[in-house]
Amino acid sequence: MLAPNPRFIRDFDWLSFLLIIGLMAFGIVQIHSAKPNDSSLWRKQIVAMVLGLIVMFIVTKMDYNRIFGLAPYLYGLGIFLLILVLLFGETINGNKNWLKLGPLGGMQPSELAKIFTLMMLVRFFSDVRERPLRLKTIFTAGLIWIVPTVLVYLEGDTGSTLSYISFFVVLLFVCGLRWSWILAGFAVVILAGYLAIPSIKNSTSYKAERIKAVYWPELAAKRYRYQNEQSYIAIGSGGPYGKGIGSGTQGPLGFVPEVHSDFIFTIAGEETGFLGCSLALGAYLVIIWRLVQTAQQSRDREGTLLAAGYTGLLLYHVAISVGMVLGLLPIMGIPLPLMSHGGTSILATLFALGLCLSVRLRRFVN
Amino acid sequence: MTNNPGDPFEVKRQMDLRLEIIRFLAVAIFVALGARLYWLQVKNYESYREQADSNRYKTIPIPARRGRILDRNGKLLVDSRYAYNIVLERKLGKREVTPKQFPEVQKLLTDNLDIEPAWLAKRFEAAIYAPKHIPIVVKEDASSREVQWVAAHQNEYPEIRVERAPQRHYLYGGLAAHAIGYVGEVSLAQLNNPNGQYSQEKGFKFGDIVGQAGLERYYNGVLTGRDGWRKVIVNSLGKIEDEVDKSEPIPGRDVYTTLDFDLQQEAEKQGDSMPAGRGAIGMMDPNNGEIFVFVSRPSFDPNTFSQRAKTQEGREEIVEYYQDENRPLYNRMIQGGFVPGSTWKLMTSVAALNEGVITPKDSRIQDGGIQLGSYFMNSMSHSGMPDVVTAITISADGYYYRLGLKMGEARFAKWVEKFGFGHRTGIDLPHEDPGLPPTAATKQKTYEAISKRKLKEAESAPTPEAKKRLVYQAEQILRDAKWTDYDMAASAFGQGQNKSTPVQLMRYVAGLANGGKMHTPHLLLKAVAGTDRNDVPQPELRYEEKGFFTVPMSPEIHDIVKRGMFGAVNVGGGTGAGSRIEGFDVCGKTGTAQVASNERAGSKNKDHAWFISFAPRDKPEICGVVLTENAGFGGKQSAPRAKAIYDIYYRRKTGLPVDAQAQLIKTP
Repeated sequence: MLAPNPRFIRDFDWLSFLLIIGLMAFGIVQIHSAKPNDSSLWRKQIVAMVLGLIVMFIVTKMDYNRIFGLAPYLYGLGIFLLILVLLFGETINGNKNWLKLGPLGGMQPSELAKIFTLMMLVRFFSDVRERPLRLKTIFTAGLIWIVPTVLVYLEGDTGSTLSYISFFVVLLFVCGLRWSWILAGFAVVILAGYLAIPSIKNSTSYKAERIKAVYWPELAAKRYRYQNEQSYIAIGSGGPYGKGIGSGTQGPLGFVPEVHSDFIFTIAGEETGFLGCSLALGAYLVIIWRLVQTAQQSRDREGTLLAAGYTGLLLYHVAISVGMVLGLLPIMGIPLPLMSHGGTSILATLFALGLCLSVRLRRFVN
Repeated sequence: MTNNPGDPFEVKRQMDLRLEIIRFLAVAIFVALGARLYWLQVKNYESYREQADSNRYKTIPIPARRGRILDRNGKLLVDSRYAYNIVLERKLGKREVTPKQFPEVQKLLTDNLDIEPAWLAKRFEAAIYAPKHIPIVVKEDASSREVQWVAAHQNEYPEIRVERAPQRHYLYGGLAAHAIGYVGEVSLAQLNNPNGQYSQEKGFKFGDIVGQAGLERYYNGVLTGRDGWRKVIVNSLGKIEDEVDKSEPIPGRDVYTTLDFDLQQEAEKQGDSMPAGRGAIGMMDPNNGEIFVFVSRPSFDPNTFSQRAKTQEGREEIVEYYQDENRPLYNRMIQGGFVPGSTWKLMTSVAALNEGVITPKDSRIQDGGIQLGSYFMNSMSHSGMPDVVTAITISADGYYYRLGLKMGEARFAKWVEKFGFGHRTGIDLPHEDPGLPPTAATKQKTYEAISKRKLKEAESAPTPEAKKRLVYQAEQILRDAKWTDYDMAASAFGQGQNKSTPVQLMRYVAGLANGGKMHTPHLLLKAVAGTDRNDVPQPELRYEEKGFFTVPMSPEIHDIVKRGMFGAVNVGGGTGAGSRIEGFDVCGKTGTAQVASNERAGSKNKDHAWFISFAPRDKPEICGVVLTENAGFGGKQSAPRAKAIYDIYYRRKTGLPVDAQAQLIKTP
């Protein structure tokens, strides 16, 4: 298995691979900057990265069709873990999404279950030959999707719940949802959003406050406005070239919350400036571009749907976690893939990317 | 849209189209992110940089109140009340107090506030190495005049601020001070010791108040709450303009100790009347190791450390504590190594009975003085051929000389080990001393150490003669290290090379009371559920006993021990009659530990008086140890003190009025 296969070397997506490693290394540097006194954080991240790369390597070498044979079991495992976390999980930052595993530390099952649910849906849709999709098919797929999504919703994690929507919508879209339904869906979302505006403005729930802090800061409570402002100041003060690695002042001093995980991009912004941030965003864009390409070139439907679905998920994660610190979107607690601190997130991301790399590797039908 | 839904090429074409749309969407999102990034970092860089530099926001910590300490029945012993501290912010907005400006600020502070210059100088010196965002406490427990001065000068010196901070208050001063301990500011050495309890690595910082002794230190993690904070906006002059966010501190968890306030209070009284002002009293439940009473004399007032450590008088008091030759801070209960005297005879009896040196039926041995080589060992008793019960009751020294010699060192040492002497009891207090067991191995080790010291001295001796003399002495000491008959006889009745701590003897008498079950003495009853300093919820904590062991003791042997100890208190001629209580069946054993040879005996060198006891005889509920240093006979000096405490216990138990204690003490 370890013997070098010339085809593997020729067809492997080296560019994406290097960008993935580069982004993780970049993330580890930022984690160190975020919490310079807590060496356990970046050490754990390196361990997760090494483990994740091993997983990614194995998954890439395997034929993804074989791994999809396991999809129902993985899906079951994902749901089992989600139930476990609801029963015995620990509440961190208001979300009950953390499962303690004794000396291993802990895990966030919702991150893993995401990928497993995506795989299950891909498996289901790969046998669907109709186009456009019929209501019954959508309903069946919805059943597969709704179980883990509701469980994650019960954990109280809005950001993660929305991420389950992201790949489901992309899969429906790619599989041939009627254009009229798509437009109708858009109209409903926009109308609902518009109608919700007055009640959001009046509400003082923390979700409403976070929305107000971005779009109507004058209406938001001070502490929410403060969080957003701190994040803008940190990033803005980075300037074109940044203050230099390890020279940030806003993040590490506790002005910005959760700097090592969900807010990691503020550190990147402060210390590496527009230059570093653009390069990081560029890297994400190239990886996503390649994923779309992979979807288009895949030898079979399974590969196409997997790459497309994961594109949706990755795009969602990057857009939200960067968009929220830049003040384009309300603050939601989701990790920035590859960069944020979090072992489960790193492992899940690298597992999914390994699958996509496997699809790309096998794009030329024998 | 589809002409031929089954056509795979048509399906592929449509999918590719939709994937292109996704790609377009992705690019659009990234362009939006990039544009916003450009707007923040390039277009508005100047404005944000200025805001970052001006540090418009500041986080002010709100120290959490420490958990309270209570007795076993919920009586409050230690509390925290609020006091006002004056602190100096080192960085506030654009203003910064650099170490260079310290002398100037120091002058300002000492001119206007009641602060001693030398102390403040030291404090500033320490602060040079602390992070700039941590404010310096320049005055604790400020007076209202000082608080007013700060308030009046807020515009001129915004970096000088009044902070409300909880301050530890020991309600009964020195009551159980050695058990409870005290709090104080974490020291620089503690912060810099990476493996220490209070290292920076563990998140402790300059200015934190932590437990420095006793339970305060042992259970610091339980007692410490989670600090809160205030996020405020300061203007360019450093004045607080607005508060944007606040997190209330969460107080530490209340700790219920096993101490019994009524008994403790009486024991304190007994401690106060000790003739030399030195001694220890410990009482506990022999069935589980819960300590009711914990007294060490002389004592100290922990409030000195928690409230007055930063005042002139307070520091003088602390210096006095350290310089006092009676060492009030020294915890005699767990650190004092004393010769146990005749209390040790029970250990020898149990050992001899178990080893078959004597049997319950045949335990008669000659009493009286004994000739050991060229040395005659005197005995205070000459009672013919007593049996073991009588020997215990009348404390027959000669009996034990011979019993020890009959048993021999190997078997003796085995039982010293079995009783756990020479090992820490594992009490939940820091810095317990293991003591020194009276065995050949200990003697050898001690003498070797002395000999080595002499040899080392010899190396740097000024003259060859002196060197020769020291080397000779070293060799002589090594020769003397051999275990002799004298050592054996002395050790068997509790003299000789023996250092036992009162807490060891308390556990020992508990084992004698309940037939060999050696529970770990402890002070924690429970800590209520709450939140720790890292904001992690913690369930209720109960004491978990580790280190329980059993000393083999058959019911027959146990009965002999009890009869002997009961006799010592309740039979005419018994040595512990001073602790007799009608109806409560106190059992005890006195001990008189020789401090110096009789020729030198002045009041300072009077013997230490011991009394170990338990009650009632069947199903014991309470046991304890009383040590009165340099006082004379155990029966006279220590047994009545135990009685006074038992009396309260017994009266409370039977519902009799608890009064007239003063006259009770006189009874011996």
